[in-house]
Parts: sequence; C-alpha cells; structure tokens
Amino acid sequence: MFNVEVNGPFVAFFVFAAIMIGGAVLMISLEKVVHMVVSMAAVFLGLAGMYVLLDAEFAAFVQVLIYAGAVSILMVFGIMMTKHNAAKEPVRPLHETLAAVGALSLFGLLFYAIRQTDIPETGAAGAGGAPGAVTDNTLAIGELLYTGYIVPFELLSVLLTVAFIGAISLAKKEAE
Amino acid sequence: MDFYTKSAWVIPLIPLAAFLALTALGRNYRKAGVIIGTFAALASFAMSVLVLVERFGQDAVDYNYSFDWIRISGYTLEIGFEVTNLTALMLIVVTFVALLVNVYSAGYMKNDERITVFYGYISLFTFSMLGLVLSDNMLSLYIFWELVGVCSFLLVGFWYTKPAAKAAAKKAFIVTRIGDAALLIGILLLFWYMPDHALGFTMIESVFEGQGGIIATGITTVIALLIFLGAVGKSGQFPLHVWLPDAMEGPTPISALIHAATMVAAGVYLLARTFPIFEASLFASDVVAYVGGFTALFAATIALAQNDLKRVLAYSTISQLGYMFMAIGLGSWTGGIFHLFTHAFFKALLFLAAGSVIHAVHTQNIQEMGGLHARMRITTATFAVGALALAGIPPLAGFWSKDAIMAVALEQNLFLFAVGLAAALCTALYMTRVFVLVFLGKPKTGSEGGLESPTVRAGGAGGAKESPRTMTLPLVVLALAAIAAGFVETPWNGWLGGWLSGEEAVAHVSPAAIIGSIAVAAAGIYLGWRFYGSDRTRPAVVKEAAPWLARLLERKYYVDEAYEFVFVRGLRALGTLLGAFDTYIIGGLVKLAGSAAGISGKMALRLQNGSIGTYSLAAVIGMVVLAAAIIGRRLLS
Amino acid sequence: MLPSYLTLAAILFCIGLYGALAKRNAIIVLLSLELMLNAVNLNLIAFSKYGVVPSLTGQIFSVFTITVAAAEAAVAVAVLIALFRARGTVDVEHMNAMRR
Repeated sequence: MFNVEVNGPFVAFFVFAAIMIGGAVLMISLEKVVHMVVSMAAVFLGLAGMYVLLDAEFAAFVQVLIYAGAVSILMVFGIMMTKHNAAKEPVRPLHETLAAVGALSLFGLLFYAIRQTDIPETGAAGAGGAPGAVTDNTLAIGELLYTGYIVPFELLSVLLTVAFIGAISLAKKEAE
Repeated sequence: MDFYTKSAWVIPLIPLAAFLALTALGRNYRKAGVIIGTFAALASFAMSVLVLVERFGQDAVDYNYSFDWIRISGYTLEIGFEVTNLTALMLIVVTFVALLVNVYSAGYMKNDERITVFYGYISLFTFSMLGLVLSDNMLSLYIFWELVGVCSFLLVGFWYTKPAAKAAAKKAFIVTRIGDAALLIGILLLFWYMPDHALGFTMIESVFEGQGGIIATGITTVIALLIFLGAVGKSGQFPLHVWLPDAMEGPTPISALIHAATMVAAGVYLLARTFPIFEASLFASDVVAYVGGFTALFAATIALAQNDLKRVLAYSTISQLGYMFMAIGLGSWTGGIFHLFTHAFFKALLFLAAGSVIHAVHTQNIQEMGGLHARMRITTATFAVGALALAGIPPLAGFWSKDAIMAVALEQNLFLFAVGLAAALCTALYMTRVFVLVFLGKPKTGSEGGLESPTVRAGGAGGAKESPRTMTLPLVVLALAAIAAGFVETPWNGWLGGWLSGEEAVAHVSPAAIIGSIAVAAAGIYLGWRFYGSDRTRPAVVKEAAPWLARLLERKYYVDEAYEFVFVRGLRALGTLLGAFDTYIIGGLVKLAGSAAGISGKMALRLQNGSIGTYSLAAVIGMVVLAAAIIGRRLLS
Repeated sequence: MLPSYLTLAAILFCIGLYGALAKRNAIIVLLSLELMLNAVNLNLIAFSKYGVVPSLTGQIFSVFTITVAAAEAAVAVAVLIALFRARGTVDVEHMNAMRR
C-alpha cells in the first residue's frame, strides 16, 4: 500500500507529516508551557500544508489564520494570565500509564481498521465537484456556503457571537 | 315485624363509630370518652333488646343477609350477618355487660389520664365482639376472633408502664395465638372438605346434621378438635389457661367485660355455633367434655389457695367455663349457653364488686383485707349475691344453670357428674373463703398500711369508703340480673333451651342433681365458714398436715413452671442455637457480602474523585474496550 | 494516499488524546483538544479529495469545525481565567468540585 512512486506531493506529505508528528510529540513532552504552544503552532502550520496538498486552499488559509494565528495567540494570553509552576507537578504514574495504554490501544484499533478497510476507487464527484477539478477553490466554497449551507452558516455566526459575548462576560472581573 | 332484625348490622357499627370518634378526638376530651362510649353502648343495647323482642315473635325465623365478598373463578366467598335466637341472646349479654362496664368505668377510671383511650378500646372491643356474634360464616368469625384478641391485648396491657401488665398482655396474646392457629387450620380444613367450600354456619349445620357421610368421620374429628383447641385458647381451658389469671393485671372493668363475661365465652359460643360438627364426632365430644370437666375441678382447686382477689375470680372463671364446655361435650349446648348467660351476669358482678373493693383499699391481697362489710354495704351485698350465685345456691341464677349441666351429666356420664360436684364443692368453698376474708372479721394488721394510705384516709374514720354511684349502680343492676336471670330455664320449664334450639321445651327434673348440687354447695359454704369464719387457725392446720398440697395449689400445680421448663427453656435453647446460626453463619455471609460491597464501594469511590481527568480516562478506556469487543466479535465470526 | 492521511490523523488524534488525559495543565489539555479536532479536520479534508464521492462538502465541514473550535477555545480560555481567579490554579487535579 505504501509502495507508491516517490514524487513531489509524496515527499511534501512526508515532510509535513514529520513536522506535525514531531510538533505533537514535542507538545506532549516539553516542560515549559510556552514551548508547548510554539510546537503546537508548528503542528497547525504543517496541517495547513497538508490542506494545500489536498487541494483545500481555503481551508489552509483558514487554518493558518485561525489556528496558527488566533488560537495560538489566545493560548499564549491564557498562559500569561494564569500562573504556571510546572516544575513541581507530582507524578501520577498509574494515571499516565493508563492514558498511554488507552491512547495506544485506540491507535491500534484505528490502524487495524484503516488497514483492514478496502477503500474503493474514487468515483464521480459529488456536491460542488471534486476538490481538484474546480479552478477557484475559495469561490466554490463561497458559493456552497451561501447557497446550500446558508442556514448552518448563519447559525454558526450566531454561535460565534454568543461565544464572544460569553467569553467576555466570563473573563470580565466581577463587579465589586 | 322483622325490621330490627334486618338492621341488626347496625349494632356493632355503633361502637365502631364511637371508637373512631374517640380516636379522632384524642385524649384531651376526658368527658367525651365516658359520654360517647356509654351512649354508643346504650344504643347498641337498645337495638339488641328490640331484636330480642322480635325474636320472641311466633314466626321469627333465622335471618341471614350476606353479600359476595370475594369472587374467584367458580368460588364466591360470602360475608354477612345472621340473626338467630342464639345470636340475639349473645347480643343482649354483650351489650348489657358492655353498657354496665362503660358506666362503671366512669368511676373506676376517673383519674386515669388515658381514660379516652380506654373508652376507645372498650368500644373497639364491643364492636369486635358483636361482630363475632353476628358473623354468619367461619371466616368473618375468625377475623373478629382475632380482633377481640387484639383488644384483649391492648386492654390487658393498658397500664403498660407496669412490667407485669406488659408481660401479661404478651402472655395473653401469645398463648391464645396457639389456639387461634389451631382454629385457623380447622377453618382451612373445613373450607377444603365442605361441599362448595362453604363456610357459612347454616351450611355447616346442614352438612353435618345430614349425616350423609359427606365428610369422613376422621376428618370431622380432626376439624372438631382443632376448633375446640381454638376455643380452649380463647376460653382459658387447660392446658392453655395460664394467660387468663395473668390477664388480671388489666383494669378491673376489663376483667369483668372481656375476661369474665364476653371474650372468654366466645369459645363456648363458637362451639355452640359449630355444634353439629361435634355432634358428628363422638370422640371430639368426649374430649370436650373431659377437658371441660377436668378444667372445672382443676381451676377450682387452684382458686382455693390464691390470695389475689382477682386471680381467685379468674380461676373461678376458668372453672365455670369448664362447666360450659362439659355441657357442650355432653351434648347439651343449650345448657352451656345457659350457663354462659347467667355466668356473664354474676361473674361480671363479682369482678366489678372486686374492682370496687380494690378501688377502696388499694390492694388485691385478700389476706390484707377484712371487715369491709361495715363500710361498703352495697358492694358487700352485691358481692354476696354474686358469690352465692356462683356457689349455686337456689334460687340465684348460678344454681339453675349449673343444675341444668349437672342434670345432663347425671344422665350421660356419672364420672363427670362426680367431677362437677367436686368442683362445685371447691367453688362454694373458695367463694366463702374470699367473702369471709374480705368482708367479714376485722381489718387486719397487715391491712393497716393499705387502709391508712392518704387517699383512703380522706374517706373518714372508717378508712375505706363506698365507691361512687357510677360504680355501685352497675353492681346493683347486675345483682338483680344475677338473681333473676336463672328463671328463664328451670328444671320444670326448659324455656330457654327450647327457644334456643327451636325444639319443644323439655322439662328435665332430676331430683338427684338438684339435691346433690344444693348439698354440695351448702357443704362447701359450711366448710368455708368453719375454716375461715369461726376459727382462723384451721387453714394453718391443713397447711401443716399436708404442706405439699397447699404448696401445690398455691403454685397452681406448677403449670407455669412446667411451661417455663419445657417450652420457654426449650424454645429459648432452640432460639439461642438458631440465633448463633443466624449470627455466625447467615450473619457472616451477610457481613461478607456487606464488606465486599463496602470494599468495592471504596474502590469505586477512588474512581469517583471528581476529577475530570479520571472520568475522561475511564470513558476512553471504556470506549476502547467496547470497540475492541466489537472488532473482536467481527474477527471471531 | 488515503490510508496515509488517515493514519497520520489517527496518530495526531491519539497524541492529542494522551495529552488531554495525562496532562495536568488545563491550557495544555485545551491544546490537546485542538490537536484532536485538527486530526478530525484532516480526515474530513482527506475524504473530501480521496473519498468515494469527492466533494467540497468535506472542506465546508472542516471550516465549520474550525469555527466551532475557535469559539470553544475562546470560551474555554475565558472559563480558565475565571477559574484561575477563583481558585488560583489551572491544575485539572484541583477541578474536583464534582465530587461534592
């Protein structure tokens, strides 16, 4: 299954994959919180590259803007506004072992499922056409958003507004 | 014409309403108890009299009204009431004594703070007893049978702060339970073997009188004996008599109502209602007769040596109930009922008079009393009437009814006749002893303390004073009844027997029985007078001559001790054994299960630490296991 | 190529899961959650190209997911700040008010 020809996209995939996995592992294993956020930003950027490989340019831009930009900065703010004494974390060996076992066995299951699944050939394109076939990805997505997905889109804007107001009222210092 | 008969169901409901009203009112309305209870009893009594008057009519037929109570496919249990001459007579007895006891209690219980509760209980008891009398089938009779037992329990233990009263209430309840269980088994057997599973008395009568061999003789005997055992428990016959003397711990009016006149007579009534069953079984009848005769003599001898005034009367009640059973066993249920009728009056009279005495001198020990005749004239006179009636002196009521029984015994069974005479001798003897010790002579030194107690001293120079009018009035009324009640059936005119059984009244003049009875009673009184009246040293002489006999009688033939030794100890040992089994084996298992649950709970508690991390970890692991299980199943198949 | 993307997404998801379960700092837990969401997004977009029915719907969905995740991150950080103000810590071990 992996004996594909080595071409540009393939190399790019492995490079991005290496960046992402490395960033994720670093995120888990680093000591200082700020370093963790920075390694996480690397994961986000790598993912954006993956999106480009998958002909999803608009999603890639959104990924860079929102994740690598907004969410990371938000996390940095969160870190700055809270106190972190990472040094004296008491270890919880049982808990961490169990978590590792759980995560690993889940990965085992998923990997088994992926290897077992007989993935059929790509057929005819569905709604909006195949991502590779359209010339202007952003235009196509915009059209879809404002035609077929208008209701979820509007709902989402309401959700964002509510989250925005809620975040403000939560984080605001309580009136004396 | 039969309007009152048809509405006889109201009679028990009046006291029930009184009970409910008194319970609802609570104990603060002290006057309410007396007024409501007494008027309810009065209303019931009036109704009963009207019913009785109707029963005297020429064309009075037994009236039975019943409705379907429980319908199970193919079987219908009916419940209802029945008015016969017998039930009409019992209604009169119950309501009459209940009315007088209500009046009497107004004086006797005046200072008790739970007087309203007391009246409530009496009303409940009256309801139950009337229901028992009016029942038209065995099952509803059994229900009321248990209800009167409960009321007896409540009233014996009325002064529950006294340990003796508490113990007596329990004893009364448990001992009668033995009989009740037997009665229940008897009813179930009857239900099983009767055609159509009928339990009505009318059906029982027709089935067993038919002699069609519908029910085998063996089964009939078993049923009869079981029913008799129930009656033995309720009526305090040997060997289940032990509860009745102890039940005297209850208030005296209760002793008069429940443990002399009505509830203990329920056994006799039951046997009279189911008499055809006993007629069908010769063996059962013999058992009834011999147990009755034995109890009559046995209890009478115990009564000779008792020093507690109420206990003497209690043993006397047991003895008289023995007479009734003897009569029924000898085939004369009308004789038994006749004695029940007269006995209800004079024994209630004796108890109420005894209560009047106790009320005045504050002791129950007859050795501490004496010389009360000068200060309590009405009580003395009425007690004398009751005692003479009990001893069987003509023309008082007790003589006629006892004579009716003795005449039957003379005809049927000479041995039981002799036993009856001996018991009659003892009866006359102990009544004379009680009367002499309590009312005649001079106040004894031992009684000084009792008589000088503050409450009594207020009465004046004489010490004890006559009881209030509410208490003496019932005494007088009952004394009149005790004098007159016997004339409803004399040897020359068997009116009551004929009226009850619906057969032609037969005269059964039996000179031997009459003369024997009178002679024995006179002899008993004479002996008693010689022993206790003229020369007080004589009892001591007897005691020295045969100390074992006196001891034996004083200790009531050691029946209680035998029970203690055989049943109580045995059961207690068994109980200890079972208790050990329960504690160590069952309890151990339970403890094991409990501690296992506790330990697993503690372990689960560690999971339940409130931390989201732990929860989500558990959720993930669970999800993984679930997914693995699904995939594993896919793999296996 | 699809299995490679899926495997990569699975790896990311499991790392995120481990981080969310094992880490005690609430900010890191949040970051791990974002990582898991990103893994899901990668799946969506991979299916959008290599699925049986290639379609832009997958991308639309991932855009929605990103939006929701952004809202979630904003609210979560606000909650954490409020919590820190009240409790003085962002250690998830101390967030055990559910026990009472």
